[in-house]
Amino acid sequence: MNLPIERLPSNFLPSFLAGITINFEIAGIALALGLTLGVLLAFALLRGGLPGAAAGSVVGLMRAAPTFVVMFFLLNALPRDAGLSGVMIVAMSLVPYAAAYIADAGVDALRQLRAGSPLACYLILPNIARAFFVLVMSSSAGAAIGVPEGVAVILRQAEKLPSLGDMLVLFAIGVACFGIPLQAGFALIRLIQRHLGHIALRNQPKVQTGETAVPIEQ
Amino acid sequence: MLSPRCTLSKLAPPRHSADLRPRRALTYTFACVLAMAGVLCAGLPAPARADNSPDAALARLLDNARAAAAAPGRCAQPGIDRLVRILCTGRIRIGVRDDYPLFSTHTETTRQGYEVDVAQAIARQLGVDITFTKVKAATRIPLLADDSTDLVIATMGDNTQRETQARFIKPHYYRSETMLVGARDLAAADWEDIRGLTVCVTVGNGSNAELVSRGARLMLFDQAVSLPERLGDQTCTLAAQDDSFFAYYFADPSFASRFSEKIGFAQIPWGMGVARDGSERLGRALDLMSQIFHRDGIFLAAARANHIGTGFLEQQQAVWGRPECNTDTGSTDPACILPPANAELQPTPFAGSVSAFETWFAGSTGFDLLLPMLKTAPAWSLFLNGVLNSLVLIAGALSATLAFALLFGAAMGARSRLLRWPARGITIALQSSPILLTLVIAAAIIHALVPYSSMVALGAAIVALGLSNGSNAGQAISEAYLTLRAERAGLPVDRIDLFSRALGRSVTQIVAFLINAAKGTPIASFIGAPELLSALTDITSFSSGRVTTYTLLLVFYTAVVMAVVWLCRRFQRFLDRSHAVA
Repeated sequence: MNLPIERLPSNFLPSFLAGITINFEIAGIALALGLTLGVLLAFALLRGGLPGAAAGSVVGLMRAAPTFVVMFFLLNALPRDAGLSGVMIVAMSLVPYAAAYIADAGVDALRQLRAGSPLACYLILPNIARAFFVLVMSSSAGAAIGVPEGVAVILRQAEKLPSLGDMLVLFAIGVACFGIPLQAGFALIRLIQRHLGHIALRNQPKVQTGETAVPIEQ
Repeated sequence: MLSPRCTLSKLAPPRHSADLRPRRALTYTFACVLAMAGVLCAGLPAPARADNSPDAALARLLDNARAAAAAPGRCAQPGIDRLVRILCTGRIRIGVRDDYPLFSTHTETTRQGYEVDVAQAIARQLGVDITFTKVKAATRIPLLADDSTDLVIATMGDNTQRETQARFIKPHYYRSETMLVGARDLAAADWEDIRGLTVCVTVGNGSNAELVSRGARLMLFDQAVSLPERLGDQTCTLAAQDDSFFAYYFADPSFASRFSEKIGFAQIPWGMGVARDGSERLGRALDLMSQIFHRDGIFLAAARANHIGTGFLEQQQAVWGRPECNTDTGSTDPACILPPANAELQPTPFAGSVSAFETWFAGSTGFDLLLPMLKTAPAWSLFLNGVLNSLVLIAGALSATLAFALLFGAAMGARSRLLRWPARGITIALQSSPILLTLVIAAAIIHALVPYSSMVALGAAIVALGLSNGSNAGQAISEAYLTLRAERAGLPVDRIDLFSRALGRSVTQIVAFLINAAKGTPIASFIGAPELLSALTDITSFSSGRVTTYTLLLVFYTAVVMAVVWLCRRFQRFLDRSHAVA
């Protein structure tokens, strides 16, 4: 009897790995754009006054905009001659989330720096790494507009499988492939945070070392 | 054959009365005279009768038009019928497509395809040359209306809406249907098999509404040429487009070996078109030519030469060979011609006001605001249901998130490993699964248990969003619970009180995941839940106004999420106050 995994075509694994690479690519682009915008917004928020109020409103709107809807908006509202690829559309749809998150984390970090705690300020680095993994997971939304990322590859294969059992095995493989780097990344982030926290506590016992809450962006 | 011999005696019953004999003889004589006169009349030439064949009618029409064209000064007169003008100039301007394989394509030096052959047959019949004009789907009718072309033969489906914009030549010269094409190994022989599958379509295709009603998940593209590519890279499970479009691709053995036709629907007759004004004689001449081309197999021969489907043309050849249709009035006989496809969507009672508002807005601001969801009854119904279902989905996702958070929080904070470990395992699995995958898994399991319906999809989405966000929030609750328990080590512990305090301590995380659940609801459209994103995608697939529609969608969801954020913050303050009082 063949195991369900043996019934997968030989090109499935290369396609799937290529798909996951696209997930990382999308997350990388979104993070780079989000960092640029988020840092500007963080400075504006710290400055206060009219720029601060405007930045606050923008961050509020970005935080509230659902990624999936932003993606469809960009897909349909942008002129066709703008020439944006599917990958770029998904990446841009993740920018509001990334920018809002980095603006919030950036404000915290800059406040810590002004308070004379550079170590606490460095905590923004693991938080950015955490945001990157969140963006990798969220980039699976691209499957809905035909971007051949990891989940899209799994779903295409699942449509050809005859039984629910086979499909569930395939889905489990997908979850494991996404989960291993994600959980490893989060474990690494926790280690770094703990390490930075210990250093901070040794030097300045009153510095906050908590993580910023990062729900998986949907 | 009639014989001059009188045989009418058999008609009269024999009478045996002697006094009736002279009268009977007279009657027989009279009958025989009548019969012989009839036979003689039949043998004589008949008086001239009007020939009602389409050929004769066409010949008369062309003779009259040629006479008009030959009349001094007539060709220079403004407003003459286009047929007369064509004969005056010796040239007919025909709009054809450049890029429709097998029907009309254009290279640097040549044009070829079924429609090009039809155009040449018409020009031959008129005895004139052709000037071809390139037309696209969007320019076919405007070019007729502004007199840039005399005739278009350009894959134009005849429907009730277009009948008001152009004069369609009857009988139709071809008929297509929308064909669903997919991988050969895909079992999709019935509409039930289509439900929930990704079907790639072109925006504005009239058959999209049918696919929507069958539960297909539409992926929209601007150009038909994208569809075979997207089928090839497996972006689409199925693609829907005219069978005439796919005919070219199926001529390629590589494409034909991978894909097959699944379901055909939405048949639509194709008509040549002329302008509604100033083309009375031209239109009539083309009607008659079209009849003759069907009857004599000229259309059929052109179709065979270009390797396109001939089923419709064979059927039409039989129709136009029938005596009752092969007349000069056949092209107006409903028993012989096909009706246009009905493309009219019932307007809403307030469609007029909406159109007036769109016009006012465009005039005042310079921006085109199109609100298709308010103008036709099917779109309005989809829109209303979409809004309602979105609100139900958000309320359900929030409730499910809260419920699963409490459940996971209690299980992961429990002393029993039998509860704690499975809850942790499920949480790690859910954290590791992209939400789209979680949604598909939930839908697959639920669909295996109960038959598919849009409400089942909505339920599956609520469960998936609740599980995904609730497990994370539950983890936060359990961590707060464990820290509280550690802080009170050695003290008597009321578990319910401790759990309540853990809720207070983790309220920021709970609120974050509640907001996240609300933001995630549009993803439900991916598994066919009929929420607003899904409804508006369906509406834009058969109407215009995509930019406005998706802008409104973004505003709607952002406003709803902001309202949820506001409510969650109030909930958070309420919990904070409650715990401060406690």
